[in-house]
Amino acid sequence: MINIKTQQEIEIMKTGGKILSESLWEVMSSIKPGVSELELDALAEKLILQKGGEPGFKKVPGYKHTICISTNDVVVHGIPTDYRLKEGDIVGIDCGVFYKGFHTDMSETVRVKSQISSLKSQKDEVDKFLEIGEKALNESIKQAKIGNHVGDISKTIQTIVEVQNGYSVVRSLVGHGVGKDLHEDPEVPGYVQGRIERSPQLEEGMVIAVEVIYNTGGPDLTLDDDGWTLRTKDKSLSGLFERTIAITKNGSLTLTP
Amino acid sequence: MAHQGSIEIDGVVKESLPNTLFRVELENGSIVLCHLSGKMRMHFIKILPGDKVRVEMTPYDKTKGRITYRNK
Repeated sequence: MINIKTQQEIEIMKTGGKILSESLWEVMSSIKPGVSELELDALAEKLILQKGGEPGFKKVPGYKHTICISTNDVVVHGIPTDYRLKEGDIVGIDCGVFYKGFHTDMSETVRVKSQISSLKSQKDEVDKFLEIGEKALNESIKQAKIGNHVGDISKTIQTIVEVQNGYSVVRSLVGHGVGKDLHEDPEVPGYVQGRIERSPQLEEGMVIAVEVIYNTGGPDLTLDDDGWTLRTKDKSLSGLFERTIAITKNGSLTLTP
Repeated sequence: MAHQGSIEIDGVVKESLPNTLFRVELENGSIVLCHLSGKMRMHFIKILPGDKVRVEMTPYDKTKGRITYRNK
């Protein structure tokens, strides 16, 4: 059952999304070599509480942190540890905010660079890998309008990531609807599953979290002993980008810019 | 937080229970309790024990599924 949100509910989610977006961008800008994962988690929690929201992930049964941190070959759901980030690592941070009864969900991945090396404008393979992910996310959000299907979003992500650039989209993880629950219907996979016309049609009032989860190598994952952390099976790097968007009469509205 | 997507597996219907519930034996050997999907109910598609069906399952509960297609 896809829950349709009213105009007022979308306004509430927009405020929650703003809290999440501001907090997450501040956490991303504080990523430097030597910062530990737990410090980023504490900073995110502090910022979210300061702005009047609640950490959404703490409402997930069994999860006790504010963010999921995915370094290098960790794909999703990495539990923050006291590992200190090194120059050149890629770090994906997934965060959620619960505000006035509604969740919002957002992720971003960056390369860890010190002040000196970020002045150098040389880009290597890994930087290109992350740029493709962002491009896939932005292009697929443009597909989110009334009348299109969920499959159109999936096709755009798959075309940009797999067909044009040779990376692989993770098959077992999908984007999802967002609302009173963190994960709702519909599922928004990053690859085309069956015929596009048979996937759910996008209507006004739907709020979905579009996720681009992709690896440099193959799409298979393994689960760690902690029961949460998913890693790439072939130890290749993994990128994660996610935004919560609402479908409106005038196209898509990004609630977490 | 990322959500794990649902998977479609084929199986054989072992027995039919009241209220369009069926016990289905999947290809990997496990027996799951499945219900008939709304679309199939709407079009009055009958399922009998012994039919090969396609089942949609969520990774979050491996004991329940939804029958989405009857293979010929």
